[in-house]
Amino acid sequence: MSAADLARLQFAATTSVHWLFVILTMGLVPIVAIMHTRAAYTRDLAKRAVRERMTRFWGQLYVINYAVGIVTGLVMEFQFGLSWSGLSKFAGNVFGAPLALETLIAFFAESTFLGMWIFGWGRMRRGIHVVLIWLVALTAYLSAFWILVANGFLQHPVGYEVRDGVAYLTDFWALVTNANAQVALAHIALAALTTGGIFVAGISAWHFAKGTRETELFRSSLRLGVWVSMLSSFFVIIVGNLQVPVIEKTQPIKAAILNGTDLAAAQAQEVAAHGPGDYLPWTSWVKNSMDLMTILGNTVSTITFIAVFLLLKDLLVRKRWLAYLMTAIIPLPFIASVGGWMVREIGRQPWLVYGQLTVDDAVSNVSKGSLVVSCAVFIAIFLALAVTNWTLITRFARRGPDGAQLGAGDPLPDDLPGAGGADEKQRVPAF
Amino acid sequence: MSLETLWLALLGLLLAGYFVLGGYDYGAQMLSPFLGSADAGPRPDAGPAARAGAGSGIGTGTGPDGRNAALDAIAPFFLGNEVWLVAFAGVMFGAFPHLEGSLLSGLYPLIVAILAGLVLGNAAIQLRGRSRGARAAKVWNALVVLGGALPAVCWGIVVGLLLHGVPRRADGSFHVGAGDVFGPFALTCGVATALLFAGHGAAFVALRSEPGTATAARRLGATLLAAAGAAGALALLLSVFGAGASMTRTGTSVVLFALVVAALAAGWWFLGRSRDTLAFTATCLATALPVLLIGAGQYPYLLSASAGGGITVDDAVADGATLKLLIGFGVVVVPLILLYQGWSWWAFRGRTGRRHPSYF
Repeated sequence: MSAADLARLQFAATTSVHWLFVILTMGLVPIVAIMHTRAAYTRDLAKRAVRERMTRFWGQLYVINYAVGIVTGLVMEFQFGLSWSGLSKFAGNVFGAPLALETLIAFFAESTFLGMWIFGWGRMRRGIHVVLIWLVALTAYLSAFWILVANGFLQHPVGYEVRDGVAYLTDFWALVTNANAQVALAHIALAALTTGGIFVAGISAWHFAKGTRETELFRSSLRLGVWVSMLSSFFVIIVGNLQVPVIEKTQPIKAAILNGTDLAAAQAQEVAAHGPGDYLPWTSWVKNSMDLMTILGNTVSTITFIAVFLLLKDLLVRKRWLAYLMTAIIPLPFIASVGGWMVREIGRQPWLVYGQLTVDDAVSNVSKGSLVVSCAVFIAIFLALAVTNWTLITRFARRGPDGAQLGAGDPLPDDLPGAGGADEKQRVPAF
Repeated sequence: MSLETLWLALLGLLLAGYFVLGGYDYGAQMLSPFLGSADAGPRPDAGPAARAGAGSGIGTGTGPDGRNAALDAIAPFFLGNEVWLVAFAGVMFGAFPHLEGSLLSGLYPLIVAILAGLVLGNAAIQLRGRSRGARAAKVWNALVVLGGALPAVCWGIVVGLLLHGVPRRADGSFHVGAGDVFGPFALTCGVATALLFAGHGAAFVALRSEPGTATAARRLGATLLAAAGAAGALALLLSVFGAGASMTRTGTSVVLFALVVAALAAGWWFLGRSRDTLAFTATCLATALPVLLIGAGQYPYLLSASAGGGITVDDAVADGATLKLLIGFGVVVVPLILLYQGWSWWAFRGRTGRRHPSYF
């Protein structure tokens, strides 16, 4: 393996693991925000209690998932400078701006507000607490927007000119409205909502299959999950197809692989544009990933479409195998989305910035030994964290709403009968 | 003020903000085994043994319920603190792209170690409360400490290398080897920074915890700050004999170093007198000033080479068009960031108690 291969493996592996947590974060946060809003504005006290438990249960799973999303994201921010310093040398003037704006506009706010939301239970006014989770949701999607703007520039560079071998930003609006970025953003946002919806529906169905007594809570969750995933999985396919003309216009090789047309002609077209060289990526990877995504996407879309009708009279969860089927499809959107990224990223090789800078030319001058060590360290840590995190999510998902620690007022030793504690702030009935 | 200087100031602000906020997180993490017990203070119903334990000044670590006073103190701010580092990296990429590529790839092994420590430590803080069983708790608690100590030492070494100068290859790229990372001056800076962050963390725990824990934290913090001062003195000594920092602006550097020492002394003094707010203010200054020391002491170099020369502000900065675009966002967003971060500090002010919401 060359240094460039190692740097690529490191980036691909860490980004993929990071993405698996990002997609669930993006998918769950609007659902949790909707639940929290409904809970906060329910008058009926019994109903409000159920909805609040619902918010805390799903919020708990969301927050556990977010933990690994944020720590792996920390590494991503440094990867470009660590292993790909050629990118900042060539495109720093253009590519750096969206990344800087992502941290300042979106990520800063997302993390701060989430911290306040987690610790705000019972401490913040209800309305403000609800606004916080909506701000977290909004900034999560803003974050995705800027990252996709940066990624879109790598896929299809626009809004710049090259002087003396360095790219300069000339048209920020073109950079931001890059069709390659915007259509992909819509596609992944819908994919994330599909993932979140299926996650909620699948876990709710599992609890029904196990004969839960929390029928009201899980029925409501199941409905929300099935509807969200049905609608978004329908549109994710439509929006996904909107990318085809964009790809055909800007990435002839990828288009030839996906459409099954003449690769040699596309290769000749690239040679004519960029000089002699081999412009073919791993074609079978691109093709197979595309097929995988398409098959899984259509499967999920079909199942959720049928599931919507089976929501009537709880038909979906009366038959145990049907309920388990909903649980079993939880991993599918994750796998499909990784397939989608494989198509997008492998399909543009050998380019880092399409038509301008190759991956091989961008790799940092770092010794192979350092890269072997860092690659091994990051992959080992990320995999261990992913497995640990999914184990925890599974455990808390199975435990049900009683196990949620988020916002739970644990009975303190002093509150238990017989402990007799006259501690600082005794709860006094408020008038 | 030119746009360049403005962005340099913002970059410095973000790094200094990260050192101050991340610094007390790492300090509290390192001290979590010593300041963990939530009821280190004498309680009316506590037996003589418990009171003796509190009298010794050091708690018994994490309580039986899994709560840890030091980690409770930082909990509501933790997620908002780490962001400063990410924002620093983002702004460095946006406004100083040529520094970003050279600095991060040049200090590759150190940055990888910092990131590995951060990932493990941050995950441990957020997930330790979710796991059951004594063995899992032990592993998470060890990772919490490692995730504080490893970045603290490595950031200190980075500061040391930036003060000393980083070796450069013939093709102009920077690189560090084991000999540079474990050199006497770099290591001294690493130890000094770890002690400083630990003392700073103790000052924060003193400010935010229950009286019992606060007393223990003050005592521990004063010792740690004194030790940080001693390590700083050793670094100065090495520099005087030519084996340490080589600054482009000696006068400025001496003044800034004297300010760091004064801040350390003030922190030590106020901790001894239970003036928690003043002590914490002093340790904040002591953690922020090293950033200014690098920026102002090495000006115009952002990354100086050990053989002289280096990457200047002009070499590193992005094109004027990019800077102008970014500043349009910056003038709106940066005050907003300070505003909502200030709001979160205000919302969770006051000392933690057993009725304080605990989650991590």
